[in-house]
Amino acid sequence: MRDGINTAKRGLPSVALVTEDFWPQGNFTAESLGMPSVPRVKLPHPLAGTGQSHLEEVAKRLAPQIIEQLKHD
Amino acid sequence: MTELMQASDEGAALEALHAAGMTDGLPVVIPTPDRVASMVLASGMDADMRLGVMGPAGGVATVEKVAVAAVMAGCLAEHVPVVIAAVQAVLQDEFDLAQMQSTTHCTAPLIIVNGPGRLSCGPIACGFGALGPGHRANASIGRALRLSMINIGGARPGESDMALLGHPGKFSYCLAEDEEHSPFAPMHEGLGFAAEDTVVTVIGAEAPHSVMYSGDADDPQDAQKLLEVLVIGLANMATNNAVLTGGGAVVVLNPEHAKILADAGLDRPAILQRLWELTHYPTERLSYFSAGFAERIKGDTYRCFKRPEDILLLMAGGSGLYSMVMPSWCAGAHQNRYVSQRVELDLYCEIPGLSQS
Repeated sequence: MRDGINTAKRGLPSVALVTEDFWPQGNFTAESLGMPSVPRVKLPHPLAGTGQSHLEEVAKRLAPQIIEQLKHD
Repeated sequence: MTELMQASDEGAALEALHAAGMTDGLPVVIPTPDRVASMVLASGMDADMRLGVMGPAGGVATVEKVAVAAVMAGCLAEHVPVVIAAVQAVLQDEFDLAQMQSTTHCTAPLIIVNGPGRLSCGPIACGFGALGPGHRANASIGRALRLSMINIGGARPGESDMALLGHPGKFSYCLAEDEEHSPFAPMHEGLGFAAEDTVVTVIGAEAPHSVMYSGDADDPQDAQKLLEVLVIGLANMATNNAVLTGGGAVVVLNPEHAKILADAGLDRPAILQRLWELTHYPTERLSYFSAGFAERIKGDTYRCFKRPEDILLLMAGGSGLYSMVMPSWCAGAHQNRYVSQRVELDLYCEIPGLSQS
């Protein structure tokens, strides 16, 4: 979330990728850093360690959402 | 009958309790007669009912005295059945409380709660930060046991409690198992209780040690590597479990680690069996570090735990890379046995104004 906000503050298109278990923390961070509406996409949790095929499946499924978010100002 | 202290106001009473060594160093709720009477009423037991004798001072743990500790700790009325059960657990002979309170080791009673009372007597946290600040029931219940051990058992640092440093869990050390999300049967079922029972299991334990493991579902050795790294934390050569041997210990799996083991087809008994087998060590390793302790060992290998079931296994905490292990003291006449005690929820009496609901 911080990476997404820091990128956005530089004026670059950004989208934060946040797993569902850390979604509330992402909201908290976005609020506390003054960018509550920073674009974000929810990923399943856990993601790390779940295997290459699962990662590829998640990436394929969520890529359109990420691209869609990046289209906005 | 409990002797009453006198003070001009609650501020003066707090200072008097601090000065008398009757606190844990933090502010307490002043145990006025009315507050204590309400807590006793909530317990559904008689004030003078004796739960046992608490060492090393040999104080008689009556329901009223435990209620005093519960009030001081900030308990709500609904916490009191768990507090009473935790006190009953540590008063069992096999817990070796008097020796445990007196040892130079850092051991503190870890209270693990299973069953429906996790919700009705709390809620007692089992997720993110369950052993940290911010969870009233966990903090208050564990603290009530500690204040009982101070004021009834007479544990005073450097005088009767000879822990060289102690650890922060000596303020409070209480959590519940995350039964709803665990892939395994609840811990208390494995200990012979019914699922609908509410049970506290108490073990004298070191502070929690973090065990980092980043799983890899593509690795056929994933579960094996996790078990191996858990054992490194659980019974490394710096622990009493590896040196004194024969005691208990605790493994708290986080949800991801529990899933790794469940996906490998391991249930609770199978995991305990594997952890037990992985803590059979070469005797020469013990001889290298602690020759004196190795002399008693006959044979080329030795066992850190007598039986697989000496290891307590539960799932709790948030989802991530970290599980926790708690080695133990392993000394005392019963070598630091854990004790489980059923919580008598039927006796609980709701007191208006003294409960959350």
